[in-house]
Amino acid sequence: MKRYLLARAGFALVSLVLLSVTIFAFVRLTGDPAVLLTEPGASPEDLVLIRQQFGLDRPLWVQYGSFVAHLARGDFGQSFYYRTDVLDLYLSRLPASLLLAAVAMAFSLVIGIPTGVIAAVRVNGWWDSAGKIFALLGLSLPSFWVGLLLILFFSVFLGWLPSSGSGSLLHVLMPAFALGWYFAAAHMRLTRSSMLEVLGSEYVKLARLKGLPEALVIAKHALKNALIPVLTLAGINLVLMVNVAVVVETVFAWPGVGRLLYEGITARDFPIVQATVLLGGAMIVVVNFLVDVLYAVIDPRIRYDR
Amino acid sequence: MRHRGLLPVLLVLLSAALLPAALAPRASAAPEGQLTWAVHVSLAPTWFDPAEAPGIITPYMIYYALHDALAKPMPGQAMAPGLAESWSVSKDGRVYEFVLRNGIKFHNGEPVTAEDVKFSLERYKGAASKTLKERVAGVDTPDARRVRVRLKQPWPDFLTFYTSATGAGWIVPKKYVEKVGDEGFKKAPIGAGPYRFVSFKPGVELVLEAFEGYWRRAPQVKRLVFRVIPDEATRLAALKRGEVDVAYSIRGELAEELQRTPGLTLVPAVIQAPFWMYFADQWDPKSPWHDRRVRLAANYALDRKAINQALTLGHSKLTGSIIPSTFQFYWQPPTYAYDPPRAKKLLAEAGYPNGFDAGEYFSDTAYANLGEAAVDYLRKAGIRAQLRPLERAAFFSGFKEKKFKNLIQGASGAFGNAATRIEAFVASGGTYVYGAYPDIDGLFSEQAAELDQKKREALLQKIQQLVHEKAIFAPLWELAFLNGVGPRVGQSGLGLIAGHAYSAPYEDVTLKGK
Amino acid sequence: MTGRALASRAAGLTVAWRLAAFRTGGFPLLPTLILVTLALVAIFADALAPWDPELGSLGDRFLPPAWQARGSLEHLLGTDHLGRDVFSRLVFGARVSLVVGFTAVIVAGVLGTALGILSGYLGGWVDQVIMRVTDTWLALPALTFAIFLAAIVGPSESNIVIILAAVYWTRYARVIRGEVLSLKERDFVRLAIVAGCSKRAIMRRHILPNVLNSAIVLGTLMLGVVVVAEASLSFLGVGVPPPKPAWGLMLADGKKGLMAGYWWLTVLPGTCIMLLVLSANLLGDWLRVKLDPQLRQL
Repeated sequence: MKRYLLARAGFALVSLVLLSVTIFAFVRLTGDPAVLLTEPGASPEDLVLIRQQFGLDRPLWVQYGSFVAHLARGDFGQSFYYRTDVLDLYLSRLPASLLLAAVAMAFSLVIGIPTGVIAAVRVNGWWDSAGKIFALLGLSLPSFWVGLLLILFFSVFLGWLPSSGSGSLLHVLMPAFALGWYFAAAHMRLTRSSMLEVLGSEYVKLARLKGLPEALVIAKHALKNALIPVLTLAGINLVLMVNVAVVVETVFAWPGVGRLLYEGITARDFPIVQATVLLGGAMIVVVNFLVDVLYAVIDPRIRYDR
Repeated sequence: MRHRGLLPVLLVLLSAALLPAALAPRASAAPEGQLTWAVHVSLAPTWFDPAEAPGIITPYMIYYALHDALAKPMPGQAMAPGLAESWSVSKDGRVYEFVLRNGIKFHNGEPVTAEDVKFSLERYKGAASKTLKERVAGVDTPDARRVRVRLKQPWPDFLTFYTSATGAGWIVPKKYVEKVGDEGFKKAPIGAGPYRFVSFKPGVELVLEAFEGYWRRAPQVKRLVFRVIPDEATRLAALKRGEVDVAYSIRGELAEELQRTPGLTLVPAVIQAPFWMYFADQWDPKSPWHDRRVRLAANYALDRKAINQALTLGHSKLTGSIIPSTFQFYWQPPTYAYDPPRAKKLLAEAGYPNGFDAGEYFSDTAYANLGEAAVDYLRKAGIRAQLRPLERAAFFSGFKEKKFKNLIQGASGAFGNAATRIEAFVASGGTYVYGAYPDIDGLFSEQAAELDQKKREALLQKIQQLVHEKAIFAPLWELAFLNGVGPRVGQSGLGLIAGHAYSAPYEDVTLKGK
Repeated sequence: MTGRALASRAAGLTVAWRLAAFRTGGFPLLPTLILVTLALVAIFADALAPWDPELGSLGDRFLPPAWQARGSLEHLLGTDHLGRDVFSRLVFGARVSLVVGFTAVIVAGVLGTALGILSGYLGGWVDQVIMRVTDTWLALPALTFAIFLAAIVGPSESNIVIILAAVYWTRYARVIRGEVLSLKERDFVRLAIVAGCSKRAIMRRHILPNVLNSAIVLGTLMLGVVVVAEASLSFLGVGVPPPKPAWGLMLADGKKGLMAGYWWLTVLPGTCIMLLVLSANLLGDWLRVKLDPQLRQL
């Protein structure tokens, strides 16, 4: 187990390094990084100063070293516009994104899991077909398109929900739905297939042979095991949601990190953009690693396998 | 059986009754004595410090709340006494003396003294600071209530510069600033204005509380909240739902929607912000814009009336000048009619019967809607330009650094007078000037030295006439800033100060029924 | 099951579900028809569009579609905030979306397939390097990455193609590499090695033609993804620059009109995107099953 964990940790570390290298490389790839790293509106003298300050005339590997050193210290640069540390800015917006992701995740699980279970139990029934359509649409429709339709319907025509912004339960419903639909479909599929697998397993066959009522078999024995992969995927997806919510957050003016990225783009506030991408990617790497650890703990096969 | 059925029903009824309360948007349960604004730009901490005034009107939204000046524009007066109760000029025009009011204090209780005034002037580094520094010889403080500013030469526009065109006349507390430093000051600013700083969440909201010791009067609303909502539709949505009481900058189709909504009022404010098209290439003999007829053609190609109707519901003021009509020394030029055939004819005469590729049209992203409409009309006339919106800071810097070519959508809402605008946008050496004409320059240096107001006015008017004749610009309009006001507001403060886009003075703002 | 394995499995289930939803293992006629129609519309846009998509008349702004109260037959699907004809813009928008989409898919495909072949066949450190890079890029959410790149190079139609290709080539590389790994064990490849063919020759003559099927399938599936990505980027303002009529851009412009009830400015372009994406997905799924039933892991 230790070896496995070490290997996963190593992999995660390599991913983080590669992430930083990629971001670093791209910034310097495109002509004059000084332009990006300076406030839009800087004079040529300012550019010279910035070059000195960031050591842009020093060899690349030296620059990279100092880049990483800053990151390790938690220094992701300062926002041009807000004049505060970008890390602080990011962390102050993260809760809003997490809230949105949590509600979207709740929605996707509440819809996805029961539907998947029923679809598995009553394969090819009416419910299964309806579920399939729901899933198909969820997987194909872009989330911001869904968001716009929701606004049109529930805000403009019906006037039930506020069209954008934040501040109350009503504000989070539409963006969460728009964000969560895709994942509801994904969770539904996984639940269904996972359930089918478990229902066909020896363990369940034995329970049935023992004469236990079907409902108990499903609820107590099958579900528990079927849900493990689903919940794991959900954990990974939660972090993914935070990152892919850019457009949904923009459509609904939801003040999360996705919107922060959008603001950074429109205001040409490059430190914000760079930090959001770095932190977003890092979160995903970390969560994947944690999931691997979780699996190692739960699933004995892995512990002794490697 | 029946009894068991009642309880659930009661529970359901109870939750149904409580549900609306639980779901009600938090902000509409606003406590008495608070007004909330939905602001269209993200508030930058540099705007808490008048020393960094960038020469645009936006930060004045905050200056009028947090700070006070020796003199500033007020309702009905372009230069009303503020912290200074009076001022005088020496006979040779070189020394200005200001007398401060008695008993004026900063938010921290410290008195406002001549030292603070001197400090504020000397630390000023914002727009036009160079001009100020060049012309001011020194500042004396003969006693705690008197300040003497000595100029190197007589400078008739000094008061305009000092009190409105720059932030140097807005007074900050010397001891406090020296103690916490410039950055510290931006985190917790202290001023002498009607409201004091409570909290600021960058990109989210600014909260201010009434400063009852304000000399003019105690404010009537206890708390002011400025919420940053850059998205126009969201601003309107917030206003509709009562989450905010005033929403800045609602335009076009959303303004029409606002008008249709009962309970909301559209309050336009024509501000001292003319918009115009600048032909940056006109001094380049190889450019089509070098030919005056082409510039005239562009002017005739635009249907300003239609654009006005579409974007600002007709409230903007069409103009033929780049100088605000409310400014001192303003000369009124004739406006251009919408005349596409004439435009085509002029282009043909100039040698472009099929139009030409006009390159890029640079504009500020906030006013890209105007640029879009203008470019559309130009294209219809055959002048094929491509819209290039840039974020405000990048736009103004590119404009300043002469990085742009072809067409630029210039605009300015800064305070001042005709001379300050001509200096910035027309005369050689000006901040945003890409080329100059010697006759205009000659007249401009003449008027700068002229002490006689009448003669000066004549010179400045002649300059404006030349500008019009040469078709240096294609003026568009004086922007009407459209704001939405909700039902809770009594006096919104909008439109009280001539040419000012935002609510001011804040001490006069009230809730309905109070 | 590691996280990534889970994700792959979840993605692999997509096919079965999408196909099952239409209860067909047969040829997806409707989706293909839609795709062909869109392609034709894009090609013949000049002839089909009654108005110039980039010029409008302010006096005619916000006209609703012809069948509504203020609508007129002159503007079948209404006009936008500048008075530009929506139908014409949709038609030309098809061209923009398809051109950008196809080009990006092809460039990404070529790059990804080449790297996948190299990685799978050559193995060793080449494989390691390419795979590590691929994994990292796959870990980054595509859209965020694309936005990041767009912020650096600035938006333009050609830049968008490059950016999308740069972000999505990794999808190809992974799959193709897997294919190549199994191909390597096949007899005809082994024979070629024994016969003394150079590595390059083998890759070109034996490996490449056999992975082409997967590449095509993947390409069809990626079309939908890329089109949505481009629409998202344009919507955020970092995609195709105005006044070009890209569907995503139309959505962004139309969003303000939503509150005022001008529904056609968002519903219509969005429907076009939806049709394109759905059709591409369904066709791709069918292709996948047809061309290589073993291709489950994607």
